[in-house]
Amino acid sequence: MTLSRRTLLKTIAAGGAAGAAAAIALPAGAVSAEAPPPVPPDARGLLYDSTLCIGCQTCTVACQRANRMPSEKSVKVINGAPYLFPTDINADCRTVIKLYEKGDRWAFMKMQCMQCLEPSCTKACMLGSMQKRQYGIVTWDPVRCTGCRYCQIACPYEVPKFQWDSPVPMIVKCDLCLARKDGKTGSACAEVCPREAVIAGPREELLATARRRMAASPRKYNPKIFGEHDGGGNQSMLLAPAGVEFTDLGLPALGDVPPSRLAMNIQHTTYKGFIAPAVLYVAAAVAVFRNMRAERKADAAQGGNEEDRP
Amino acid sequence: MNAHARPVGGKIVTPFFLVLLALAATAGVLVGYRLFTGVGSITALTDQYSWGIWKPINVVTFTGIGAGAYGVGLLTYILNNGKYHPLIRPAVLVGAIGYSLGGASVMIDLGRWWGSVFLLYPPWYNFSSILLEVALCVLTYVGVLWVEVTPAILDRWSADGSSRLKRFAARLQPRLQAALPFVIALAMLLPTMHQSSLGSLYLMAPTKEYPLWFTGWLPFLFLTSCLTMGFGSVSAVDILAGSVMPGRYRTNMALLGGIARVAGWVSLFYVAFRFADLAISGRIGYAFQRSYQVPFFWAEIALFTTSGLLFLSRRARTDRGRLFTAAILALLAGAIYRVDTYLVAFDGGPGARYFPSVGEILVTVGLGALGVAAFLLIVKKLPIFAVGETRP
Ligand code: SF4
Ligand code: SF4
Ligand code: SF4
Repeated sequence: MTLSRRTLLKTIAAGGAAGAAAAIALPAGAVSAEAPPPVPPDARGLLYDSTLCIGCQTCTVACQRANRMPSEKSVKVINGAPYLFPTDINADCRTVIKLYEKGDRWAFMKMQCMQCLEPSCTKACMLGSMQKRQYGIVTWDPVRCTGCRYCQIACPYEVPKFQWDSPVPMIVKCDLCLARKDGKTGSACAEVCPREAVIAGPREELLATARRRMAASPRKYNPKIFGEHDGGGNQSMLLAPAGVEFTDLGLPALGDVPPSRLAMNIQHTTYKGFIAPAVLYVAAAVAVFRNMRAERKADAAQGGNEEDRP
Repeated sequence: MNAHARPVGGKIVTPFFLVLLALAATAGVLVGYRLFTGVGSITALTDQYSWGIWKPINVVTFTGIGAGAYGVGLLTYILNNGKYHPLIRPAVLVGAIGYSLGGASVMIDLGRWWGSVFLLYPPWYNFSSILLEVALCVLTYVGVLWVEVTPAILDRWSADGSSRLKRFAARLQPRLQAALPFVIALAMLLPTMHQSSLGSLYLMAPTKEYPLWFTGWLPFLFLTSCLTMGFGSVSAVDILAGSVMPGRYRTNMALLGGIARVAGWVSLFYVAFRFADLAISGRIGYAFQRSYQVPFFWAEIALFTTSGLLFLSRRARTDRGRLFTAAILALLAGAIYRVDTYLVAFDGGPGARYFPSVGEILVTVGLGALGVAAFLLIVKKLPIFAVGETRP
């Protein structure tokens, strides 16, 4: 193939520009912006106080009733005793109380969606089925859901659950009882709790209550409010007894930056304004065009493409 | 350019072909059953492991094999090494088939597959979603690949179609020729985007990925390894073609030697980069811990290293068997890296376990068989390979 030196140089330059665009985009993305996510003005959530919880699971039952979900039918044997409640949240159960033991310490833990301020699930969802909607509550829209289950991969708390045995599966998770099916409003779990171990309300009020309780008996509590800043902050938050770490309760150690930030920074920097892809495309088109033309000329000059014959 | 490509011809329905169809039909039955009973009925998937082998093997590995079109395209069109032209048509066909199967797997795996029609409805696009980018890129690229296959169809029509088809082909050919640079440029851009994003997907789960695999360079490593896989698949296909059609198709060792050099260096670069990244970010210690993930890491490194060294060895450039081994090892290396990132490194939580079910494996095998069958059918009917005239 005959190829003028000029064309070759230009081609290399074009390819180089494209490569450079991609190369600059990537490492720059690794620098993370640490600004905390905004709190929706009407943000509501739950506050669960492990020191008050007696593990009665009334909330679990109330949640299933309020949202018309089938209750657990299988009796399990746990530590030699029959046990009727689900052991974890699942597609039929949006909240459950778990008992964590470590050495001689133990604590209850209420599992449900944390209503993150910057949720990984909403970032993952292709068509915005999972979205922060009214009261900043993360809700699931069946029409926009493709059942890809990327929200399950992304959620650091393993909250969204999928109906594996349904041909028309739904994603099930706590929506703070936004769509209660028994005609009432408000969070059913908070409504029935006999000890105010779980209460519902605007995020600011929940934080104030948490601080008040901690100030009243500081020796009783782990000084941290889980969800105030963790993973960028949540709308549903937790208090643990003194001496019990939140990681002992099965919660991930997220730090204060939303767990999706790294991915978002890399992705958004790479695709910022679609500039890098556009540059890459133009560079590729120019290179291809030139190379094909050069090749055609070469072929014509040789009266055929003898060289290409394998 | 591909003036010498000819249909391979020969009988289509061979015993081997029937076996492939039977495997594909089994997968078809399972998929039909799944439509009425839900994803859980034929898979071992759980809420903890909600993506199983269908993602890293069917989608990410099939498209990795299909990335030969991307790899050879880069060499040919961008780096202007026109001598690789004879390899392009087979590579593009493998790509079109591999990507179509990948797309089909996604549809089978989607719990609410009908919801994917809204992928055509931009107002709902969530531009934060890496999966959306992957989905749109892959869908478009499937189209682009089949457009790249059309010159072969038009060639066939203008050679021995009816006079109507001949006229149609004659009208379309120059237009296609004019549009081709833009299509090819798209065929270079889209894989760059989605092959890297297939790695980015797991950037979203920093707390669940084993540190040996979790790195901001995931997209780059996926892109790099898709090239080695692509070069591997192109070489393997060309060598296989040469051995099943002795006397009619000569494996072009000179061309493959050139590709092997590139593939070898890219493989070794991958290994070096992987270690540099681990060392710089201070995660290298994990490679020497006792944990079930660690052997997978070393297997991955061993495969990339051996395939890289084999590709570069002088003998591989003359010895078909050796080059074939290198190519297969390169495919395995890329495949294991993908399975590692998607499954081995993924921690679904305490007590969570996943091993693919028989149903999942049968669907994967069936789709692979369907791909091979489609490839055989098409190369026998369309001018894909530059084969000699003599019929065996
Ligand atoms: S806890 Fe999980 S499901 Fe709930 S908002 Fe956060 S990321 Fe989404
Ligand atoms: S399963 Fe549905 S809600 Fe979850 S990420 Fe996929 S499309 Fe969104
Ligand atoms: S707020 Fe409602 S949906 Fe959420 S855990 Fe409580 S009862 Fe269940």
